[in-house]
Amino acid sequence: MTTALTTISATASKAGVDLLRIVRINEEIKSVVGVAFKINIMALNAIFLAKRAGTAARGFGVLSNELRVFSQDLRNCMSSLTGLIHGCVNEVSLVLQDIRHTRLLRQAVEMAPTARICQVLAAREIENDRHSVRLASLRKQLKRALEDAFQMVELGGVLAKSAKIEAAYGQSFAVPLAQVSGEFDAIVEEIRSSLEALRRSAFFTGK
Amino acid sequence: MKTTKTIFQDGNHKWVAIVRDPEKPNFLIDTNEYLVTHGGQGLLLDPGGAEIFPAVFSALSAEFDPSTLAGIFASHQDPDICSSLALWLEFNPQMPCYVSWLWGGFIPHFGGSAKTFVTIPDEGADISLDGLILRAVPAHYLHSSGNFNLYDKIAKVLFSGDVGAALLPPGQDGLFVENFDAHIRHAEGFHKRWMGSNEAKRRWCERVSQMDIDMLCPQHGAIYQGADVQRFINWFDELQVGIVAA
Repeated sequence: MTTALTTISATASKAGVDLLRIVRINEEIKSVVGVAFKINIMALNAIFLAKRAGTAARGFGVLSNELRVFSQDLRNCMSSLTGLIHGCVNEVSLVLQDIRHTRLLRQAVEMAPTARICQVLAAREIENDRHSVRLASLRKQLKRALEDAFQMVELGGVLAKSAKIEAAYGQSFAVPLAQVSGEFDAIVEEIRSSLEALRRSAFFTGK
Repeated sequence: MKTTKTIFQDGNHKWVAIVRDPEKPNFLIDTNEYLVTHGGQGLLLDPGGAEIFPAVFSALSAEFDPSTLAGIFASHQDPDICSSLALWLEFNPQMPCYVSWLWGGFIPHFGGSAKTFVTIPDEGADISLDGLILRAVPAHYLHSSGNFNLYDKIAKVLFSGDVGAALLPPGQDGLFVENFDAHIRHAEGFHKRWMGSNEAKRRWCERVSQMDIDMLCPQHGAIYQGADVQRFINWFDELQVGIVAA
């Protein structure tokens, strides 16, 4: 195999691995989106509970409103992450298609190096570069969006922990408030762990 | 690399068979591609699968300027027929692809745009190649449900797609059928299984019997010429097809 074709083979293998990684990230994001939806319902329940508890749970009420805003922001954030993931999947697929075409065109050039087929190959390589640049840009955007999501979830964690503390002052409602805030905290922690794992994905680190 | 063999020539009117690549991996079925040229233009018949594009392209380039290809004729929709379409179109984006109307929405999955496909009605159509009229002859259900042969009445050549195809054993790779009885054994299983309709087969045999044919050129195996053409038609007419034991 020539050096050019060996390089193509290595690039194809990397693109294949990239596609696998991005598909896994997509699956993880889908599960986080599902959990984020659950948070929204839980935040609503917390608001109703705080209203029932009245003055005894005033602090908890403020926090549950914040948690509701957080859950909506989280959903928006997940929606933009999903869009970026779809863009990445599409672009990696195009790169894979480019690689196959380039391999076959290069073989054709090696076997029949006419001026026209060389031009076609050159045009194909320009197109490949365009796709690679777009993929690199999407990869950066996705990484940034994941960082933003992670920061947001850290804030959600702080809110959930504060709600747990406030629940202790809920007098006769202390137990149900503690239960709601505990569940909230557990879910935020689950999302945090998922996002943490996604941040370390080799799709971003290139390892 | 495949080799090219000119099987008919009268001035600039030629039929070129692109065949037999010794480097082709065994897991890919061997295919014959054909180039018809006339007046400096060329029509490529069943250009083959994407994986054999380099071999076909280089062989064709040795014989003909590929930038003057005027079109592609796809007998049907199979991957070994035209999955290389996107690569040929990359080379010449304006090139039309003639194909049964039945596959007009399917073959674009291999590549091409709305402008690429010239669909052929069931009854067939004439395709002009710089004044040479080539006739798309119906061969539906043999084996594809939307299937065409291509007839050149000047050259008396019928490109028959999968009809007449044979899966030749290693070492038996002559371009022309030398011994009909020995050859047809390699065609029998293929026709029994791939051809789906005895009625369609009978109609095809009647139709092509009325045509003046010197060479019957299948997409796999060897070319029938002279008396072997009618011998093949008679053999096919007798064969019961579309039957599977399971």
